[in-house]
Parts: sequence; structure tokens; C-alpha cells
Amino acid sequence: MKKYLEIARAYMKAQLIWRADVFVDVILSVARILFAWILWSILFEGKEQIAGLKFHTMISYYIISSYLFQMEKSAEISQQMTGMLRNGTFSKYMVIPVQTQGYFVAMEVGKLAFSSGIGFLATVLWFCLFRISIVHTVNLKILLCGIIMVVLGLLFMALLNYFLGILTLKFEEISTFLMIKDNLSAVVTGAVIPLALLPEWMIAGMRFLPFYYVTYLPSMLFIGKCEDEAVTGLLVLSIWCIFFIVLNQVTYEHYRMKYDGAGI
Amino acid sequence: MKDNFKFLAELMKLRLSHIMTFRLGFFGPFFIDTSYFLVQLFAFEAIYGHVDKICGWGHGEILVFVGTFSLINALNMIIYFFGVISIPEKIQTGELDLYLTKPVNPLLRITFEKINPGSIPLLAFSACIIAYGVKETDMGFSWSNIIKYLFLVFMMTILYYDMELLIRCFAFFVFSVNNLTKIEETAIDLCLKIPGIAFYGIYKFIFYCILPYGIIATLPTQAFIGALSVKGLFFGAAIVCIFTFFALSFWSYGVHRYESASS
Repeated sequence: MKKYLEIARAYMKAQLIWRADVFVDVILSVARILFAWILWSILFEGKEQIAGLKFHTMISYYIISSYLFQMEKSAEISQQMTGMLRNGTFSKYMVIPVQTQGYFVAMEVGKLAFSSGIGFLATVLWFCLFRISIVHTVNLKILLCGIIMVVLGLLFMALLNYFLGILTLKFEEISTFLMIKDNLSAVVTGAVIPLALLPEWMIAGMRFLPFYYVTYLPSMLFIGKCEDEAVTGLLVLSIWCIFFIVLNQVTYEHYRMKYDGAGI
Repeated sequence: MKDNFKFLAELMKLRLSHIMTFRLGFFGPFFIDTSYFLVQLFAFEAIYGHVDKICGWGHGEILVFVGTFSLINALNMIIYFFGVISIPEKIQTGELDLYLTKPVNPLLRITFEKINPGSIPLLAFSACIIAYGVKETDMGFSWSNIIKYLFLVFMMTILYYDMELLIRCFAFFVFSVNNLTKIEETAIDLCLKIPGIAFYGIYKFIFYCILPYGIIATLPTQAFIGALSVKGLFFGAAIVCIFTFFALSFWSYGVHRYESASS
């Protein structure tokens, strides 16, 4: 565990070197919030509620989901792995005495530790600047469930991206898969629109998938909606995380023999 | 001019033979763009399932709008997208030197060297969305409206190019343009979901005159349904001329200031 903490610490320090990038990234998240404000203020004209959400609830949802969406940067894992597997530099992860899966998860934790703190402060700032009456839950248990779900959701996305990265050992070109994954995950996680706008049968289907619990459900829990789904959500997401931990381990062990360290 | 056409024909021939070598690469952009537009269409249906009309536009008009945006984006993907997006990398790695030292216009070569026929099916896909929207609106369309529409689609494809080029030209002056492209993506996402006619006040000014993504699909759609005034048509043409001038000037200024990274 100590080794992984050390990895996380090293990557957090690296983030401090590029802190200007983190700040710019956080400031740019305002564009997403501002555009959501424009879109929904137009769509809400003459309407009290859309899909059971009032205007301020909708904007609160967007601000929280933007923060969660911005935190989730694990797509870098698959891109980084692809690059390294193809140019032969992945060997360095094979020779160090840590599990590669653990290494990449620890790397994400380190990167997140810095950006999530800054992002949280920025989110509070946007609420104040836009004078949005924040809609939030008052139930501490639900709040705790939401926080645990965010952590599990980020872990799941890191595991999924690690899995896609491993596929480079099998397929020559995975950038097409990655781009399609990015397009689809933006909508199924609820980052593009709140999933509450979808038909009920579709939402029921999505409850079996992990993406529902990555951005959408935690954001809804934080604004005091869907509280009855909190415990089930934690359970489903935990099962998906365990499944991917095992799948990654098996896939990596199976395919790592194919790696020939091109370029060494 | 004749030499440029001959050069373009050669470029296309080379590109096609290159694409046929990597066949997954041929269809990759098609799958990516199709998934993107299915997602946008899905989001659109989810939003407009709860909203009947927006500034007088019903479901049919909005479908024509989304189809038009998709059509312009498909033209962008086929003709110049993959060339223009490679500009920042070429500047950072010094690869631009190879373009500047050749006896052809470097921008012409970069723009058209990566045409991508893999996105051609998207044109048919966009046409289907537009046809469905037309069926929904239940309106009669005149030939003059269709000609105006096609003219504006052509003009807006140029505007789309201008915006892509302007943003990528910042790479001459800054280390990374990633954050600017994020703004571009977010603005396109917004303007794809909401027609320009719905913007008001400062937002209208921003999305009509500064980041003119708001007019890209709105003006052709207005022309198609016969709601575009002559003033609107001239406004669209003027914006395209202004942004083309800015984009080309910015490119020339950037090239003038360019200090090869490899030397």
C-alpha cells in the first residue's frame, strides 16, 4: 500500500508543476456551466418544471455534474498506455515491483487529489458568482453515499480505461474505440443531459450499467433527488468495480506475453 | 489556379491510395462521427421531448436544423478537418518547415492533404434527418429556398473552416491550444442543441459575431423554411467574408512569426 501511496504522491507533485494547466482547466469549466445556463434558461421559458426538475435544480445538477465530469480524467490512462505499448516504453511498468493496474489507479488518485480540491473551490465560486440558490440534500447519510459513489465511479472509469489500454496488446489501433467510448460515455453518464429526461424504460435499463452511477446518480443525490437508489447504486457499482479488477488482471496476464518491447 | 487544381488532384490520389492501405482508418472517422451525432440526436430527442416549440420552431424545423449542422460537419470531416487539426502538432514539432519550403501554398496543402472519404455516408445520414424534418414540418418548399439553402451551406462550411483555422493558428504563439479547442467543442455542443434564433442580448452577439457557431446551421435552416430575410442573407455572407479575412491574415501573421522548432 505504501508503494502505491508513494506513486500517488509523486503524481500529485507533478500536478503542482503544471498547476497553471489545472487552473485554466477549472476556469474553463465555467464555459460548460454558462452554456448550460443559456440552454436551460431558453428551454425553461414559460415552464415551471422539465422532467420534474425546476430551473435552479437543473443548474445545480449541471454545476455538480460538470465538476464530477471535469474530475474524471482517466481517459489519459488508455491513451498513455497505448502510446507506451506501441513505442516500447511500457517495459518500465513491468519491471517495477508493483501491479500495473494498481500503478495506474494510484497515478489517477495522485492527479485527482490536487485537481479535485481546486475544482471544488471553483464550483463553490461559480455558485456564488452566478447567484444560484444551490439545491442540495440535507441528509448526511445520502451525502456520504454520494461521496462514496463518486469515488467508486472514478475507480470504475480508471479500471475501464486501463482495460481499453491493455487491448493495445491485442489490437494495433484502438484510438477509434477510445473516441467512440468518449462519445457514448458522455451521454450515458449523464454529463450531456440529465438522464431524468429519458423515457423511464431506458433509465430502468441503464440502472444495470455502471455509467449511470458515475456522474448522474451522485449529482442527483447531492441535489436531493433519487435518494432511494443510493444503496442499490453503491452495490451495483461495487460489483462492476470488482468485475473489472478481476477482468483486468486476467486480461493483462493473458496478453502481456504478446508484448515484445518494440524499440528496445 | 490551374496548377493548384492539378496539385489538389494529385493530393487526393495520394490520399486515397494511403487510405486503402489502412482500411480501418478509412471507416474509423465514420464510426466516430456517427456515434457523436447519434449521441447528439439522442440528447436532442430527450430535450425536445419535453419542449414543444422554441421561438416558433417546432420539432420538424429543429430536425432540419440538426440535420443541417450534421451535414456541414460531415463536409468538414470529409474535406479539411483532419488536415486543419494537425496544424498545432506541425508547429510544435517543426514539421511545418517541410510545408513552408515546398513550392506550393502550405495552407492549401495542409487543408486538403487529409481528405477523408470515410465520412461520406454521414452526408446520407444527415440528408435522412433533414428529409424527416421536412416531412414533420408539412410545409411546401420553393426552389429558390433550396438554392439559398445550398448556397448558405457552402458559405457556412467555409465559416466552420475559418473558425477551426483561427483557433489552431494560436499554436504559433502559445504552447498548447487544448483549452481553446475545449471552448470550441463546448460552443459547438451548445449551438448544436439550440437554434441561433433562441439567443438574445449579449448571447446573440457572442454566438452570431464572435463565436459565430450560432449561425452555422440557423441561417441555412431559416433559408430552407423561407424565414430568412435578405438582410439575414447578407449578414451571413458578411460574417463569412470577415472571418475568412481574419483566418487567412492570422495564418499569414503566424507563419511570418514562426520560428522553426527543429532548427
